[in-house]
Order: sequence, then structure tokens, then C-alpha cells
Amino acid sequence: MSIASKSISPASRKAPPWLPYLLISPTLVIVLVFTAWPTVQAIYTSFFRQYLNIAKFRTPTFVGLENYKTLLTSPDFHEVLRNTAIYVIGTVPTSIVLAFLFALLVNRAVKGIGLARLAFFYPTILPMVSAATIWMFFFTPDYGLFNTALQALGYHGPQNWLGNPHLALLAVMIVAVWKNAGYLMIFYLAGLQNLPTDVFEAAAIDGASWWTQLWKITFPLLRRTTLFVSTIAIIDAFQVVDHIFVLTQGGPSQSSTVLLYYLWQVRFEDQNVGLASAITVVLIVIMLSITVTNFVLSEREGA
Amino acid sequence: MNRKRVLFVVVSLLLVMSMALAGCGSKATPTAAPQQEEATQAPAEATQAPEATEAATEAPAEPVTIEVYYPVAVDAPIAKILQGYIDAFEKENPNIKVKPVFSGGYGDVKTTIQTTIEGGGKPPALAVMLAADLYDLINADYIVPLDDFINAMPDGDAYINDFFPAFMANSKYDGKIWSIPFQRSVVTLYYNADLFEQEGLQPPDSWQSLAEAAQKLTIPGQRWGIEWPSGWPYWLFQPLAIGNGQNIVASPTEVVFDNPKVIEAVQYYIDLSHKYHAMPEGVQKNWGNAPADFAKGAAAMIVHSSGSLNGILKQADFKVGVMAVPGKEPGTYATVTGGGNFYILKGVSPEEQAAAWKFIEFVTQPEYAADFSINTGYVATRKSAYDTEAMKKHIEEVPQAGELRDMLQYAGMELSCMNLGKVRNIFHKYLQAAYNGEMTPAEAMKQAQKEADEALSIFK
Repeated sequence: MSIASKSISPASRKAPPWLPYLLISPTLVIVLVFTAWPTVQAIYTSFFRQYLNIAKFRTPTFVGLENYKTLLTSPDFHEVLRNTAIYVIGTVPTSIVLAFLFALLVNRAVKGIGLARLAFFYPTILPMVSAATIWMFFFTPDYGLFNTALQALGYHGPQNWLGNPHLALLAVMIVAVWKNAGYLMIFYLAGLQNLPTDVFEAAAIDGASWWTQLWKITFPLLRRTTLFVSTIAIIDAFQVVDHIFVLTQGGPSQSSTVLLYYLWQVRFEDQNVGLASAITVVLIVIMLSITVTNFVLSEREGA
Repeated sequence: MNRKRVLFVVVSLLLVMSMALAGCGSKATPTAAPQQEEATQAPAEATQAPEATEAATEAPAEPVTIEVYYPVAVDAPIAKILQGYIDAFEKENPNIKVKPVFSGGYGDVKTTIQTTIEGGGKPPALAVMLAADLYDLINADYIVPLDDFINAMPDGDAYINDFFPAFMANSKYDGKIWSIPFQRSVVTLYYNADLFEQEGLQPPDSWQSLAEAAQKLTIPGQRWGIEWPSGWPYWLFQPLAIGNGQNIVASPTEVVFDNPKVIEAVQYYIDLSHKYHAMPEGVQKNWGNAPADFAKGAAAMIVHSSGSLNGILKQADFKVGVMAVPGKEPGTYATVTGGGNFYILKGVSPEEQAAAWKFIEFVTQPEYAADFSINTGYVATRKSAYDTEAMKKHIEEVPQAGELRDMLQYAGMELSCMNLGKVRNIFHKYLQAAYNGEMTPAEAMKQAQKEADEALSIFK
């Protein structure tokens, strides 16, 4: 701390021109080695046929676009894409809205608010696998907490959340939202606490209602936070499947299999390296295009 | 100040780089290829001179260190038990050091080994992996056959024949033996013997009597007659198919799904819910809950792994009966084996492989097989383990342990074939579709057969 505060200004004036490059080089090396290179490798291997569990196909053979053709014509893959779309569209906006509401709720100077913040945030601290294990018991038919609570609210539908093909995907989505909303709340809370108070005072003097302030001032000022939050929420939705391993194993009958889980199955159960690489490429393309679109749209709004 | 900062940055940069490089370095072990060649030569030498190996193992010239990869995600303090065996082994073999590497489940062990080998690294000499993974491991060229080690033993045939044949079923391929049974279980029907007595019921001996008992023991909203987990269904389903005279696996390249007897078995499972109302409907995601439900009286019977016996006995305050799953015809029974075997891996030196074999021999001695079974609840893999004093005493205290052994005579082979992951996922998908009423059993099994045949066609 003390070193930094003393030396920042002189150092920046006298810094040699190569220093910035040196400073970013550790990150750059890590990104290149662990992100860029595997991506290039995945693209490359996606043009090959290689099964690790089939002796004669162990050595990679070039097959052009064969793997992509297999994917496009596979009904399984179509179902997986559909599940993934439902999962992302179902969890991301819900988590963000909840996170925003939680943040508003706990962004007040009330006694015991720390406890409320902790309550919303605590799912985040739990490892996903432990959280999913707890939910596994919540979802138990007959006596599970989730079903008992629903029944108290007058629900009399099917209770076999993890074994019913129409409910399994919804069940894993509920766990994801529960886990993520508190995490995303932290960013909104930080954003809220950094907002300039004078704007709100001025608005209050002008007679703006609470709702108007929220909609016309708070929300626009938190635009950058929303951009950040939505980006990481979307990426998370594609990347976090730990709870599916615990809760449903993608079942029953594939009804809760999403893209990354499918990728794991193809790579480590079917041992089909080429096809798994092709799925990786599809995953990267989808995530890149969503992220870029997200940034472009919000930049345009900001201009 | 400035210079100090630059120095700091450079030093930390070097640190990070060296870490990154270390990561890369371990990936590209240049010696991996020659080692593999040596590995294939080694067993040949062993066969030439069995006496020489005997002498060599008594006084190995160089100290050897071997790694053992071991799954620990089971309901017993495996790590502690195994460490005890390793200590005893090292005492007897001062020149061999055994380094256990414990990891999550069977899948994790296999994945770790796979990523190590495919990344060019050195695998462990020894690992416990699923018995059913045999063909995948052979095709992937990860493991070595064990015949040369067995033949080098003074009484190799007697050693192998002492293992229960049901446990050896997943060890043989191409006339060779590839794995040694160690941590093995069987599908078990647990029944609440007190409830049976109260209701004047005999332990079921056919599909019909099982269904009727389950029906009679069901109290709606309070107690299920039977719970039969189906979240990962092939294993617990197999006893039904075998009990109807048709296992779902016929050869490494042939599975039997679309067969009237298998379809009838699927229908029977569905009937337990729909016709007899004695079992939860649809796919039952209750693998974790079933033993607890049984122990607290919320289920009168469950079908589960024999590995759950110790846990159930600890919790239940009633007489626990164990038996094989009744077959369709009166007086017939069926079960299926499961669990993990020892595999010796390619890509390590012959000395390490020989040491690994020595360790296998050591921990499969009757006394150790008995001790392992007593402490973990797994079924002892060797017949002679049941002749040991410790085991006799244990069976006196826990007669169920003896009954598990007696069930082995009804055991069929666990689903194991080429392209196993793919075939198993296909079967799961359609079996669950039938359980959930999305397809009829006949439709589902027909589709499963079609897709599985496709996945196996490349091997024919």
C-alpha cells in the first residue's frame, strides 16, 4: 500500500516503454496457453475422426466437416440445443431481475440488514455440488422440503421433479437461479452504493416518485453493471453444469441435458474426441456471438 | 523505488512463467514411448523364468515406487483401510513403495488416467476402475493382460479359480485375463423381515409373489411396498431381465434389448407402480434416499447395492433380510455383479508393473479379501476368504454377509461391451422413456436396439 501510494506518480512518468507489455505478459501467457491454444486445438481436432475407445479409430483421421454433419443431423443434438436455449433464457433474466430486487431490498441502512445480505449471498458460498446435494433432498417426493412447501401453497401437481421428463429441466433451472441470484446481487449492490446521491436528492426535490427514480435514474445509471452482470450470467449458464451431474445426470431420457453436459458425455463417456471438439467449437461460437452482441447493443444504447 | 518495483514485477513474472512451464513440462514426458515398448517385453521375460521372478521379487535390486489410483466415493473409510494394507505390504516388501492417489468416483479415476496418458504423461502402475470398463480400456490401449504374471505364479490357475466366477465374468477377453476383482458388489433385494412376519408373508420367490408382497405392504402416503431406483437404471434393471432368462448383453459386440423377455421385464417394473401401486411411479431418482427410506420404514423393500448393507444395518431397528431379486418363474432368482477391479497400466516400467502385481497378490490374499469385505461391506471376491476365521466369525454376527455370497450363484454379467458409454446412454434414454410412459416398452426397446446396433456396428 505505502509503496504504491508513494511511487505511483513518479513511476508512471519514468516508466520504460516496455513496462506495460511486461505487466500484461503474465495474463497474456496464461490466456494464450489455457484459452487461445485449446481453442485452436479444438477447431483443428473437430475436423478429425478420433475415438479413444475404438482401437481402429484411435489415430486421428481427417474427415473434413463430417463431425459437424453428424451434429446437425443428430436428433439428440437438436434436443440438447433446445434444452440449452430453454435453460439460458429461463435462468439468466430471472437471476438478473431477482439479483436487482435483492440488491434494492438490502441496500438500506436498517438494523440486521447484514443478516439479510448474508441470507441472499449464502448460496454463492456453497460449492455447486454441495448445493445440488441439498436440493436433491429438497426435491424428494412426498417428504422433501420443496414439495412440502409447494403443497402448503396449494400445489397438487407431480412431485417427482428429477425423474419426470417435463420437470427435470425446470428443477435444475430452479437450482441455478437460486445459486446465481445472490452472486449477481453483489454487483448490483456495489453499483447501487456507488451511485451519486445528489442526483436522487435533485429528483426528490423535483417531486419524482420512487418508481420514477428507480426507472429513470437508478436503472440507467446501472447500465454498465447490467451489461457486466448479464454477460457473466450468460457465460455461467453455459458453463456451470455441476448440479446436473448431481441432480439428474442429464435425464430422464436426456430431458435435462444441456450443451456442456452433452459435451462431457460425448468426450468422456462416448470417448468421441472429434465430435466433442466440434461441440466445443459450436459452444465457443454461440458464446462469442452472444457476448459480442451484448457489448455492441449496449454500446449503441450508450452512444 | 522504481527499480525495486521493476524487480518485483520481473521476479513475479518469472515465477508465473516457471509455473506455466512446469505445467507444460509434465505434459510432454519424452520417455513415454520407449517405456511402452519395454512394457510389452517385460511379461515375456517373466514367463521364461518363473523361478527367477520369484527370486527377484524376494530381493529386488532397485527400490521401486508405484502409484495406485483409487476411487473413494463409497460408503466406507476406504482410504484408511487401504493405507493399512499398504503399510503391511511395504513392511513385507521393503524395496517397494506404494503411493495411493485417492480420487472421487470410478469415473474420476478413469478420466484422470485418460487425460494423463493422452497428454503424454506417465500413468500410475495400478488402478481400481470399473469391471465393466474392460473393453474401453483395452481398445484405448491403456492396460496390459495379466496372464504372464498369473502364469509365473506357482499356482496361477488355482489363484484365478479361487475367485467367484461371477466376479471374473468382466475380466476375460480374447482368451486373456485383464483385471483382478477387488471391490465388488451385487444387486440386492433388501426386505424388512419383521414386516413380512407381521403380515404372514414369505420372502418372495417369483415376480408374482414379489408384486403381491409389495402390494400388501404398501400403505398409501406412508410406506411403499418397494423402491427401485432408476436414475442410472441399467444395473438395477439387469436382474429383471436375467430373471426372465435373457440378459441384455450377449457378447462384447452384441446387446439384447429388443427381445420379448427383456420387454416383459420392463413391463413388470412398470406394473409394480401402475398395476400394483406398490412402487413410486416413473423414473425414481432415489438412489441416495432409498436405504434411508428402508431403514426408517418408509419402504418395505428396496433394490440396491450390496454395498449399502453396513449402512442399513447400522440404522435399521428391525431384522433386515437380503436376497437376490426373484425371477419370473417360482424358485428362480437373479442378480448382477458390479464394482471395481485392479488393472495394471501400460506406459510404466516392467519393474513397476511387477511391483503392482505383487501388490495385487498381497491384498487379494484370503485374509485381506475377508478383512476388506468385513470392513467395507463389499462382497469378498475369493471363495477361500469365506474359510478364514475372521470371516466365519463375521458371518455369525452378520448372517447377511453370508447370504450375499450365496447370491453369487444367480449372478449374471454386468452390462459391458465395446463403446460402453454410448451404448449405456442409449439404453438409459429409452429405458427411462418406457418407465415414464413416453414410449411403450416394446417401442422403446426396439429403438434402443437399433441405435445400439449402430454404435456397435463398427466392431463387427
